[in-house]
This record gives sequence, structure tokens and C-alpha cells, in this order.
Amino acid sequence: MTAISSKPPDSEKKREKEKKEKNVAPTKIVVRRLPPSMTEEEFLNQVSPIPDHDYIRFVKADYSLGQDVFCRAYINFVHQEDIFIFQEQFDGYVFVDTKGNEYIAIVEFAPNQKVGMQKDGKRKDPK
Amino acid sequence: PDTPQEAKRERPPLHQYIRKLIYADLNKTNTEKILRQIRKFNWDDPEVAAYNVKCLKNVWNLKYFNIRYVASLLAGLVQYHDWVGTEIIDSVLEDIRLGMEGNNPKHNQRRTAMVKFLGEMYNYRLVDSALIFKVLYSLITFGVMMDPEMAWNSLDHPDQMVRLRLVCVLLDTCGQYFSSGSSKKKLDYFFLYFQRYYLFKKSCFASEESFPLGISSMVLETLSILRPKMQILEDFEAACKGVLKIEEEFIAILREKMPEFMQVVAQEGETDEAGLGTI
Repeated sequence: MTAISSKPPDSEKKREKEKKEKNVAPTKIVVRRLPPSMTEEEFLNQVSPIPDHDYIRFVKADYSLGQDVFCRAYINFVHQEDIFIFQEQFDGYVFVDTKGNEYIAIVEFAPNQKVGMQKDGKRKDPK
Repeated sequence: PDTPQEAKRERPPLHQYIRKLIYADLNKTNTEKILRQIRKFNWDDPEVAAYNVKCLKNVWNLKYFNIRYVASLLAGLVQYHDWVGTEIIDSVLEDIRLGMEGNNPKHNQRRTAMVKFLGEMYNYRLVDSALIFKVLYSLITFGVMMDPEMAWNSLDHPDQMVRLRLVCVLLDTCGQYFSSGSSKKKLDYFFLYFQRYYLFKKSCFASEESFPLGISSMVLETLSILRPKMQILEDFEAACKGVLKIEEEFIAILREKMPEFMQVVAQEGETDEAGLGTI
């Protein structure tokens, strides 16, 4: 304990944390645990209209995991308040696949908030 | 012997080539050269790009030691294809999370490789320290019950050691860089919570000797390498006291700086330092 309590007061850490949270409020969310057989179109059909967003990426299921196979989607919203409406709507929402299996989706902030430029990004690889 | 021959999957030549480059050839001396090869692929073709991303992400197919060179490759690649970094980081984080939710011992190797990869990505500046700490805290809090009875119904049984191992792997990989400024302090705090988690596990065993020796030496080694002067806590109660003490300090500061905020928190009964940010 001595090593820890002899450090400078932790106000700094907290302040930094606050600052971080204030300046860059998270806007990228992930919809997890979607049915593995779902396609991007089916997803869009079921959740549209999606509020203003500048990034959306649907990820197909990764079958190398065996039993825990799901699709997921990342959406970056433009307006903070839309996130909560979207979450209200789809967190815990039950998606049903073609065979009638039920999947309870989870809506969360994406742990990685970076969006990354789209494939047609500005820089071309000269190779 | 008459063992039935397993149907061998024949992959298209391009896939075989990608796999050979990343899984077989990649090593310390040829990272640059392989990066050039990978850049030459037709990244405008969504199928080729997706296969490349998949191979780069599935680092459990590599020799454990070589995982670092995939992070190096990726650091080179994001200069030209920024989105690849995002996709891979997102996938790695999802994999780590699903690993905790599924909690299948069969995937322990894979989970270890993924966490190692995340640490290496920090070393190559593909992710920031905030993300590493998010994962560290989620490993010791997500679905964790610090109650000997309830823990058996949780996602993290008292006798499961995999998360301790994952934390140690992550810290052994990149913890050495949390040595100054705010990340240093963050690691000091994390160690308090981590010791509480570790000592809780230990307290679930009938005696000191029945706890796996390999695990306790692994944990103590990680702690002592990163913070040689830190006093190691003795038991679960001491760790709880330590955590309580700094949480009270936090709350006192918050009360001082943001009185309105604290009122809201008090109503919601939120606790400090949650794991991955669920909404």
C-alpha cells in the first residue's frame, strides 16, 4: 500500500479522466450477438431508419469459434442523443433467424472508438 | 491403420499464399519484405481484402513468439489502409469479450494469443493505453462475483485461472511502458484491483498450498517486474480495504469538484471503475 499512497494525490487522474470523457464522448456503438446467418441487408431492414450516422459496418459471423457465433454491427452516430434512443430500442431486442432461433442483441459503446477511413480513403498505396 | 482419411480442404492458391506469408514465413528478419508482398494484393477487391484481414486477425495460427510481427505488419499496413486497423482491433476486442462470455476452456490458447496480440498492438501504437486498461479491468470484473458461493454460478468460477493468465500476458507484453505520467498511476491503481481479484481467487481455496503454484508465481512475477518496490498485499481482506480506501478518496475528490454529478451517481448507485463501458 505504501507505494500507492505515496504517489501524488489522485485528483489528477480523475481530472484527466473527466476531461477525456467530456471532450470525446463516445459515439461509436456496437450491436452484438446478432444471428449468425444474418445478412447486412436483413440487419438494415430490421433496424432502419438508423438515426444520422457517418459510419456503419456489418461484420459477418466468424465460424472458427464453434458455438459462440454471432454477427455484429458497428455504427458511429452523429448526435449523442440518438445513441440512447437507439439503445433503448435495440438493446435486448430479440432478433429471429430464418430457422426461428432467437438471439438477444446487446447494444454497447464500442470499446474501440476509432472509426478509420473507409476503403476508398484518400491515400492510395503506391506499392 | 484404417483411419478414415479426413477430407482435406483445398484452398484457392491466393489464400494459400496469404496464409503461407503470414503463418509460415513471417519472422523477425522478413517483416518488411512480407509487408511489401501484402501491400501488393488487390485491396480493392473486397473478397481479397476480407481474407487478408481475417488471416491477420487469427493470430492463434502463428507461433506465439511471432505474434509481435503481425502487429508490426499491421502498423505498416495502416499507413495505406487505415480501416484495416479498425476492423482488426474491433475484432480482437470482440474476441476477448466473447471469450469471457463463452468461457470455454477449449479457447484458452486462442484467448491468450488474442490478448498477446492486443498488447503488441499497443507497442506498435495501434491502440492507446486507455483501451488496454479497459480490457484489463474488464478481465477482472466482467461477470465476476466476489462471493465464494455466487462465484460458482458466475462466468468466472473460483477455480478458473485463465483470466489471471490473460491479465499477466497483457501486462507482460506492454506493461513496461506504463512507467510514467497518467498511465503509470493507472497501472498502480489497477494493481490494487488486480490483487484483490487474485487474492479473492486464492481465498476460495481450502489452503495456501492447494492454490496452483504456477499461477501464484506467475502473478507475483508480473507484479514484481513491473513494480519492484510495491508491497504485495497479504490477503483478500487487506486488498478490499485498500480498494475501499482509494475509492473513498476518489469519491471525496469528486464531491469536491463535481457536486451535482455526485448526487446523480448516488441516486443511481453507480460504482467506480466499471469494466467495459456498457451504455
